[in-house]
Amino acid sequence: MNINSYWNPILETLPRENLEKLQLKKFQRIFRWAYENSKYHHKLYNNVGIEPGDIKKFEDIRDVPKIEKSVMRVVQKKDPFPYGDMLCVPPDQVTEFHQTSGTTGQAVYQPDTWQDWEWWAESWAYVLYAQGYRAGQRVFFPFGYNVFIAFWAAHYGAEKLGCEVVPGGVLDTEARILKMKELGVEAFMATPTYVLAMADTAKNKLGLNLRKKLHVKRITVAGEPGGSIPATKKRMEDAWGAKVYDQIGATEIGAWSYECLYQSGLHVNEALFLVEIEDPTTGKLITEPGRKGVMVITALDRIAQPCIRFDSKDLVQWSPDKCDCGRTFRSIKGGVLGRIDDITKVKGVLLAPTAIEEVVRGIPDLSDEYEVLVTKKGETDDITLRVELIHSLNGSIEQIKAKLIQELRLKTNLGYNIEFHEYGTLPRYNNVKARRFKDLRHQEQ
Amino acid sequence: MTKEPIYNIDIMAEKIETIKKTAIELKNLSGDIQAVDRNVVRILASVKMLEINISDVATIKKRVKFN
Repeated sequence: MNINSYWNPILETLPRENLEKLQLKKFQRIFRWAYENSKYHHKLYNNVGIEPGDIKKFEDIRDVPKIEKSVMRVVQKKDPFPYGDMLCVPPDQVTEFHQTSGTTGQAVYQPDTWQDWEWWAESWAYVLYAQGYRAGQRVFFPFGYNVFIAFWAAHYGAEKLGCEVVPGGVLDTEARILKMKELGVEAFMATPTYVLAMADTAKNKLGLNLRKKLHVKRITVAGEPGGSIPATKKRMEDAWGAKVYDQIGATEIGAWSYECLYQSGLHVNEALFLVEIEDPTTGKLITEPGRKGVMVITALDRIAQPCIRFDSKDLVQWSPDKCDCGRTFRSIKGGVLGRIDDITKVKGVLLAPTAIEEVVRGIPDLSDEYEVLVTKKGETDDITLRVELIHSLNGSIEQIKAKLIQELRLKTNLGYNIEFHEYGTLPRYNNVKARRFKDLRHQEQ
Repeated sequence: MTKEPIYNIDIMAEKIETIKKTAIELKNLSGDIQAVDRNVVRILASVKMLEINISDVATIKKRVKFN
């Protein structure tokens, strides 16, 4: 690796000791900012007796109260409309409005100042530069530019790098693919679901071989776990003949994690974010690799609505592997492994929906779509997996079924009812976050 | 052998501070001309990104050798 491999070689290769000093200094600054400029934060910290001067060493950060999304929803019902008193700037300094997708409940509104928006683009610049994006490359954005953050900041991050940005806004999927072909775009960004849906449309509606007729070299995926699920990643790479890189971010946090060219886990941008991983039961800090815990995250430079010790509910684990890229930023392994509120007990067994996706997408005779329904029959939980068969089967349905049952048992330790559906009949999730896991147990009682 | 670059981040930080001061001075001179004020807001946002990338580190370490 050389200097040209990094967006900022100073920060990205800063020795750990100095990186931690920098994080502490920045935490002290954002904490003071929130304490002095938001009524909500001032009261929250006063209630537990913590003032800015109390955070003297790294361990003191652990005493700062966490904030959950559910709390943000309550706060945003207060003045000033529509953000509530977490807001740290006068409302007339807010230049950007976005909101969360609402996947886990009522959407949360996110104000950003112009500086915050510049910061969003900066955080994406780190991501894209690490993934090989450079000035002069033509990059396509096939998403609906609307109230959801989606790839808005990635658009401006790519601009910041000097890429030529092509907004694919309201075009439909076919028009987007044809525009990408016409312009010979080198890269694009989308959710894993939409990357696969585009490939499906190209093949089945346009009769287009993406590997031969387009020149896409890299795809950045975000918004769903698929980029870190090997079988899903392979499907995307096979369909497009391109490298797929994962990225993780969130509206209320920022673009905090990304794969680099070496792809040995996802780096946490520790110059801009502080990630703590906590044991879900004891709440104790996990520092060793390979132990899953809940991520608590601080955006160290975001000012309009600070994200300080945000309890993300995302399950992550530190990676045991050292990345050869030379970055001193630590990595997480496997991306977001699930959400603490998604990991559900079925028949007494903890089930993470991502494990089912890994199995389904690993069987070539099945389409990209699937649906999981958990119901209750009397006192017993029941799981049904709905899958679609592709038209040109390599094996018999019985063989596919047997393979599914065996693999699912191996990965999830559970038995499933398998339903085969005709290709194209299960719900599609173009441009919205997929909701393939449906727990109907409470609805039936 | 390729020479390893050495970044003199304290001098870079000084230059960033100068840009910031100049931008604020410009705003103070604007007489509320919005075409000046709003563009200064944008300049200062970019300056903040330079501070995040360079000046913040300057307080931790004065000279950084590329690893």
